[in-house]
Amino acid sequence: MTRLVVSGLRVDRAHLPVVRDVSLAVESGRISVLLGANGAGKTTLLEGLSGVIPVAGGTIEIDGHDIHRARPGARVAAGLAHVEQGRTVFRQLTTDENLRAGACAASDVAAAYELFPELLPRRDVPAGLLSGGEQQMLVIARALAGRPKILLIDEMSAGLAPTIVRRLMATVRRLADQGLAVVLVEQFAVLALGVGDRAYVLRRGEIVYDGACAALRDAPDMLHQLYLGGSGDGPA
Amino acid sequence: MKRASLRPVLAIVVAAVVAGAIITGLLPGYWTYLATAVLISAVALQGIGLVAGRTGMIALCQMSFAGVGAWTVGFLNVGGAPGGLAVWIVIGGLAAVPFGVAIGLPALRLRGINLAIVTLGFATAFDAILATITFPGQTRFISVARPAMFDGDGGYFVFALLFYVALAVALEFLARTRLGAIWLAVRHSERAAAAHGISIPRAKLSAFAISAFIAGISGGLLAGYLGTLVADNFSMMQSLVLFAVSTMTGAQFAEGALIGGILAVAFPEILRRLDLGQDIGNLLFAIGATQALSAGEAMSETLRRKVRGFRGARPAAPHPGVAIAPPAPPPRHQGVALATRELGVRYGTVVALHGVDLTVPEGAVVGLIGPNGAGKSTLIDAVAGFLHAYSGSVELGGRAVDGQPAHVRARNGVRRTWQTTRIAPELTVGDYLRLAGGDLPEEQVGAILSWIDCPHPDTPVASVDAGTRRLLDVAGVVAARPKVVLLDEPAAGQSYDETLKLGRRIAEIPNLFGCAVLLVEHDMDLVRAACSEITVLDFGRVIAAGPPAVVLEDPRVRKAYLGIEEGSAAA
Amino acid sequence: MNALLTSVVAGLTGGGAYGLLGVCAVFTYRLVAVVNFTAAAIGTTGTFVLVMLYEAGAPLWLAMACGLVAGTVAGIAIGLVMTAWFAESSASTKAAVTVALLVGIVAIGLRLTGGQHPHHFPDLFPGSAMRLAGVELTFSSLLTIGLGVVFTVLAETFLTRTRMGLHLRALSERPMAAELIGVPVRRLAVLVWGITGAVTTFSLMIIAPQRSPDFASLSLLVVPALAAALIGLFRSFWITLVGGIMIGVVEGTMSVFPGLSQYRGAVPFLIILAVLLWLQRGARWDEAR
Repeated sequence: MTRLVVSGLRVDRAHLPVVRDVSLAVESGRISVLLGANGAGKTTLLEGLSGVIPVAGGTIEIDGHDIHRARPGARVAAGLAHVEQGRTVFRQLTTDENLRAGACAASDVAAAYELFPELLPRRDVPAGLLSGGEQQMLVIARALAGRPKILLIDEMSAGLAPTIVRRLMATVRRLADQGLAVVLVEQFAVLALGVGDRAYVLRRGEIVYDGACAALRDAPDMLHQLYLGGSGDGPA
Repeated sequence: MKRASLRPVLAIVVAAVVAGAIITGLLPGYWTYLATAVLISAVALQGIGLVAGRTGMIALCQMSFAGVGAWTVGFLNVGGAPGGLAVWIVIGGLAAVPFGVAIGLPALRLRGINLAIVTLGFATAFDAILATITFPGQTRFISVARPAMFDGDGGYFVFALLFYVALAVALEFLARTRLGAIWLAVRHSERAAAAHGISIPRAKLSAFAISAFIAGISGGLLAGYLGTLVADNFSMMQSLVLFAVSTMTGAQFAEGALIGGILAVAFPEILRRLDLGQDIGNLLFAIGATQALSAGEAMSETLRRKVRGFRGARPAAPHPGVAIAPPAPPPRHQGVALATRELGVRYGTVVALHGVDLTVPEGAVVGLIGPNGAGKSTLIDAVAGFLHAYSGSVELGGRAVDGQPAHVRARNGVRRTWQTTRIAPELTVGDYLRLAGGDLPEEQVGAILSWIDCPHPDTPVASVDAGTRRLLDVAGVVAARPKVVLLDEPAAGQSYDETLKLGRRIAEIPNLFGCAVLLVEHDMDLVRAACSEITVLDFGRVIAAGPPAVVLEDPRVRKAYLGIEEGSAAA
Repeated sequence: MNALLTSVVAGLTGGGAYGLLGVCAVFTYRLVAVVNFTAAAIGTTGTFVLVMLYEAGAPLWLAMACGLVAGTVAGIAIGLVMTAWFAESSASTKAAVTVALLVGIVAIGLRLTGGQHPHHFPDLFPGSAMRLAGVELTFSSLLTIGLGVVFTVLAETFLTRTRMGLHLRALSERPMAAELIGVPVRRLAVLVWGITGAVTTFSLMIIAPQRSPDFASLSLLVVPALAAALIGLFRSFWITLVGGIMIGVVEGTMSVFPGLSQYRGAVPFLIILAVLLWLQRGARWDEAR
């Protein structure tokens, strides 16, 4: 049982506070969905968690150990994996090399192909030549090959066809059911709410909703307002 | 020229007169002799400070340019050319210019690192050539003749001082012109500079030419100082040391060059008196330069920041009255400011834009929205001329601009802002506005700044917070009064109230400045506040266009933002 | 004719060393993104350790081993400075730092080795290997070229076949993504600096006896090395190696003609100029910033 507890987190970008006073808790077997419009601070929050950018305040604890000052590499060792947005495959490396670069042992690579059999026929192809969906599978598989306990995924569905998104969502659900703690950052809310357990909604860097995914799913008006603004929120 | 800008010039002249009087009047001859060496080094440092410190290029052959100047002076001396040393020195400086331009040319448009390699290569080549051809008069021991009135140690010190002061004053004036601001802008971001209509090659070449001229002058001064020269005076190692010293002290400022000159002369002198190796001085310069690069701040920059800090403690001058309205816009035709026709962009196998037709009418504020990766920033890059290739056409005011580089498009009427602000922090707020908007009258600068709540024109950009810098970006593009401005997420990082206020300002732009606006933004409240029309991109295609109220309720737009038809995926 | 051939062959030793140094420069640039102006100075440091020990009476093999270790340590020291303080800096800032460090290393080097005071450089591999068309091929020329080929092959094999090489390639492509999958970024960077330190030292040991034997001149052999790397566009090991050999051969050829031989030092510059002008066809300015 792993717990990631974040409290009072503040992350700045170019000296501007982009994430302000965010607290959340994530645990094994659960998918936490992080929603919000573009620019709400979702990506910055994940980058603060994984150490891509330094945090300006607050704490990040994995099973009671504060890691908010550790380098990204040390956070990986503590069990955190971060799948960045934009499908950051090593383009000049083949699919297999991408997996091996992240793997602890050969068995991890084999496990990756089991999870995503689509990648097996593409194993010797440079990752830059894979389709968007295959690249997304590859970066998730590459992160899993390092045997993380907590998986942060940023904008998994951006630019992908709906069938692929459903396929990936189902896989993420299965991973969580097997004991992984997942934080899913999504701009496309509905599908994510379909597989997630708990939802957080960010607006201008602050959490404005914290509750069950199901409750948010059943309130489309609320969702619509969160994304497209207008009605009921300030003098629009 | 403003009175404020005369102050540093006056300071230089007064300091020079006082120092000159003290050194020639009170100090023993040997000290005067050393002080002359300080001045000659300081002149050489000013040359490299311009190209390395101000424009941000790594130039490693400054002493070779000095060698060209010195050689020319020696040549004119042996040939008994008319005019005397002062004239020869200026001719020597001019002789170095074509070398500077020729070395700068091949490295202009490529990665800056190549300039370092080519200049170091030139320094080696010059070493080899100079060792072979030797200095005119070197073998016959013909010494360079000094002017009669500057012949002694004290006299030649005054002679060198005159050159140093003349160059320092000229450079101080130059730094305050638009060219000075352009150099800083190029150093900070070439793309952003090009977006203001600045020709990058011309900016770099001008810096290189002037810097070579100053180096040539320093070589000529050295020729008169030492009388006879050997190739070693201008060796590649000397150029490298000069680069280290200028990096350490910040030779782009007069005081930085002078401090560098003092260190370059004093270190070896002290070490000599202590019976230590003089070359160890270079080790200190290496450490100092590394430290300055690591801190991102040279000695003169630290000094200026401290001084500014003391001055900043005084209350800021009040804003110029809001009463001065920006002048009436140029006569407006009811036409199209910007149009794209079948605009297509692909990155390798990925299609980023797919035959996009977009029209921004004159006098309109058009919003461009869409989910992440929809192609909004790509569209701005294509329109502003920052993409190597696209298909289709971009038209400004009905005229196709395809094939024009970014800075030409900027001059022809399209200006853009960036998602991350790229304003050179060394500028003042007013400098930046004049850099972006051309030579604006003083009261116009004040009026535009107070319109968008930016600080006083004399405020250094370095002390302006990041959110306000984004407003300054907007002020800069509208000050140029182009046909159309492209604003890329101007509200990022602003609070809710600031965002709405910015929205109202953006809505005013067409009337106040006569520009149409294309606004890329995620914040829908800002879009609603500012835009009369919205275009929605998804997967590189336009999926909806029209008035905000209609478009934002469109089911296709909801789908683009929420992923799937609402409700269909619930389970 | 024979004189020309002899000079061309004489240029091979220098050319081989240039190529090898160039390959090291490409290796450093591709893997840790630094254009390293201290490369030759690092090698010179190791070479002078060899010379001083040898002059003090140490056996040649021991002096050489100590020299190689010293070069490796010097390389790692520079690497530590670069990774500790300049990991996030731009490429041109990093290059400026190495220029500053070069000034410092040369200052220390000149001090410790007595400035222009002449040293005796032992010829590590004396004698000629064979005669070809009446021209002697020296051991050192064959050795530097051979070593250049071996290092190029090894570098490519190491990068494509080993796990560490895999990590290095991942690191060079996306440093942050590599760090996020647990690649030991800093340790690998230091390793790269150590390897290039050792190899540059070895090539300088071979070429030093033929050059003016003072610390500064040897350190400035970085110019032909960078010229070679530029020919390979800082990407291709093989083109860099061939480019380096070519520079050496052109220098050798020039030494035959009495009017030209003094201008040999200008060869790398002319080649740099030619390469840059050729590269500019249709290229645009530095838009990365």
